[in-house]
Amino acid sequence: MNQAEHKIFVIEPNDPVLITGAAGFIGSAVVKNLLARGFTNLRCFTRSLSGVERLANMAVRYPGTRLEIVQGNLLVRDDCKRAAKGVGVIYHLAAGRGEKFVPDAYLNSVVTTRNLLEACTEQKMLRRFVNISSFTVYTNSEKPSGRTLDESCPVESYPQLRGDAYTYAKVKQDEMVAHYGKEFGIPYVLVRPGSVYGPIKGDLTNRVGIATFGPFLHLGGSNQIPLSYVDNCADAIVLSGLMPGVDGEVFNVVDDGLPSSRKLLRLYKKNVKRFHSVYVPKAASYVLCYLWERYSNRSQGQLPLAFNRKAWRAFWKKAVYSNQKLKTRLGWSPVVPTEEGLRRYFDACRMGGANA
Amino acid sequence: MLKIGIVGCGKIADSHASQIQRIKGAKIVAACDREPLMAQQLGDRFDVQQLFGDLSEMLERARPDVVHITTPPQSHFAAAKACLDAGCHVYVEKPFTVYEQEARDLIAIAEERGLKLTVGHDNQFRRAARQMRELVKQGYLGGEAVHMESYFCYVLGPGDYAGVLLSDKQHWVRRLPGQLLQNTISHGIARIAEFLKTDSPQIITHGFVSPLLRSMGETEIIDELRVVICEEEKTTAYFTFSSQMQPSLHQFRVYGPKNGLAVDQDQETLIRLPGLRRKSFLEQFVSPAEIGRQYFGNSWMNIKSFLRREFHTKEGMKNLIESFYRSIRENTPVPIPYREIILTAKIMDTIFAQLAQSRQDTSRTTSPWQQDENAPLVGSDASSGQR
Repeated sequence: MNQAEHKIFVIEPNDPVLITGAAGFIGSAVVKNLLARGFTNLRCFTRSLSGVERLANMAVRYPGTRLEIVQGNLLVRDDCKRAAKGVGVIYHLAAGRGEKFVPDAYLNSVVTTRNLLEACTEQKMLRRFVNISSFTVYTNSEKPSGRTLDESCPVESYPQLRGDAYTYAKVKQDEMVAHYGKEFGIPYVLVRPGSVYGPIKGDLTNRVGIATFGPFLHLGGSNQIPLSYVDNCADAIVLSGLMPGVDGEVFNVVDDGLPSSRKLLRLYKKNVKRFHSVYVPKAASYVLCYLWERYSNRSQGQLPLAFNRKAWRAFWKKAVYSNQKLKTRLGWSPVVPTEEGLRRYFDACRMGGANA
Repeated sequence: MLKIGIVGCGKIADSHASQIQRIKGAKIVAACDREPLMAQQLGDRFDVQQLFGDLSEMLERARPDVVHITTPPQSHFAAAKACLDAGCHVYVEKPFTVYEQEARDLIAIAEERGLKLTVGHDNQFRRAARQMRELVKQGYLGGEAVHMESYFCYVLGPGDYAGVLLSDKQHWVRRLPGQLLQNTISHGIARIAEFLKTDSPQIITHGFVSPLLRSMGETEIIDELRVVICEEEKTTAYFTFSSQMQPSLHQFRVYGPKNGLAVDQDQETLIRLPGLRRKSFLEQFVSPAEIGRQYFGNSWMNIKSFLRREFHTKEGMKNLIESFYRSIRENTPVPIPYREIILTAKIMDTIFAQLAQSRQDTSRTTSPWQQDENAPLVGSDASSGQR
């Protein structure tokens, strides 16, 4: 624990900290980071008990630490009150990931967040509500190809037209947090990680390409891929909840030394598995997305709006990314270099599971 | 223009809203959900102007002609009754009600008030199912159904719905008398009910918790079900619900005294099964080719539907809603006969009562420390379904 560092933080080391979605991929890294920073009073909120043992084992290494597991459902208001009671900082990571349908994603992201925020309005000790958003909320439509996508970029104003339940829910979740910040004075920060990866098996981000139609279609080309190694991401999330003077701010989280899509695909093939991929040039992928969108609208949804121009701009239009704000405002720097992070990721993919 | 209201703004409400928007002469004027945010998200995406958190308020202020009830089944009866009392026609998502008696009561109210009801058995209104019904009407079976087989399977792996259901002990599905089965099997049971002629068939039920769910620590949710239905030793049926068998079938076969028919919902095919055998080797040489020709015909028909932009995932729902609205406008019979709705509810009540009875019997005959959670649940009391 760094005493000098703790002096500037908005809470004391023994103040209660709530982490929702604590047993998840990023959530457990956040818990690990807080423990390593010397925070001794963590409340881990989880929906199910799977992964809880791993959290408890983490705390064993830090004697004198109180790691409380609270099992509950953020759709139940009393559970939210129980979770938020007396906490100094909330890291809100629980969200409806992987939901195919908007109502499910909305229920598990927006309604849950509203319930938690409502519980926060009764809490006098709360110093920061850290809402974990996503890069997916950005439109990337207003400036020319290849510009820097940073925190000043606009968010989708009509997320329902993106055809993606997760994007819709995340945009609305951010709006909800901002609303409670404005109306009820809840001090908040929005953290938007790029593609979070780590030492667990996982498919390549669809920013590189998709395998929906059989062969892998490489759509990213020379685009930078906004990777964030899970430990680096967790560090940024933790700092955004602790550093003073950042209320109401947005932080994008990406690492240094980001690879291009082409390089990442090449490394993946070399280190994990060989497969055939077909490069689709930008103009072609744009036209295909446009045609799909047109047909989807014309056929009243016979083909779902999975591919469209908004999605193309968000995922496959060329952009570069910046973590300057993270570095200057939070004093963050990536602990795990991208090269090392990718090595761990590829190892895990080869071994077919977690490889921490 | 029919004014439509939607109550319950969860996942299935999205399907209703998107299909209603495709129907000429109907407009969604109001949406209601106990959680106002859910009504807001539906209104936001489907351009619904009037949003409510209370059903009675919606009925009073928006005054819809038809209300679609897409809430969890426990609230179907009360919501449908409130809508009927307010003079609205009602489309209730499946299962129609939790108990048969509730179904009877709703139908009685609707008939008394000259209003119409239907239930969301939309799979029976997909292209292949409609063609099957037409062929049966034309006498293709050669008489009344002799035997039926209905498969309605459900993928339930660790990463699917099972994860949510198992982790949430308060999930509304768990609070239904038939739990998971009650929320899913009515599609498959209704297919059988359509061709039964009497109102009290004999039912034998066998159900158990699959090894997969048991390995995940589940002991209550029955996800493997086999049912034998028999009426007056004339018509019989097998119903299969499985979360584990592969392929995960959604099929219905009906056999008459002359011919049979097979509908595959996943492949959207209707296959005629002729009773007449060809002579000698021709049966082996020609008949498979004939079946192949039928499959090819189905493929072509599906492609044509797609090109005509009539091949939506929920095309059956659109057809059912359209038929229901037509029956309202023209005051013609409803697309799903009330008798079929009641019989489906009755069969389901009986199945769940038998499963509950068997569970009780197993508990009684086995001391707590000898209790075998893996013991199958079997029953055969056809009248035990009465509430």
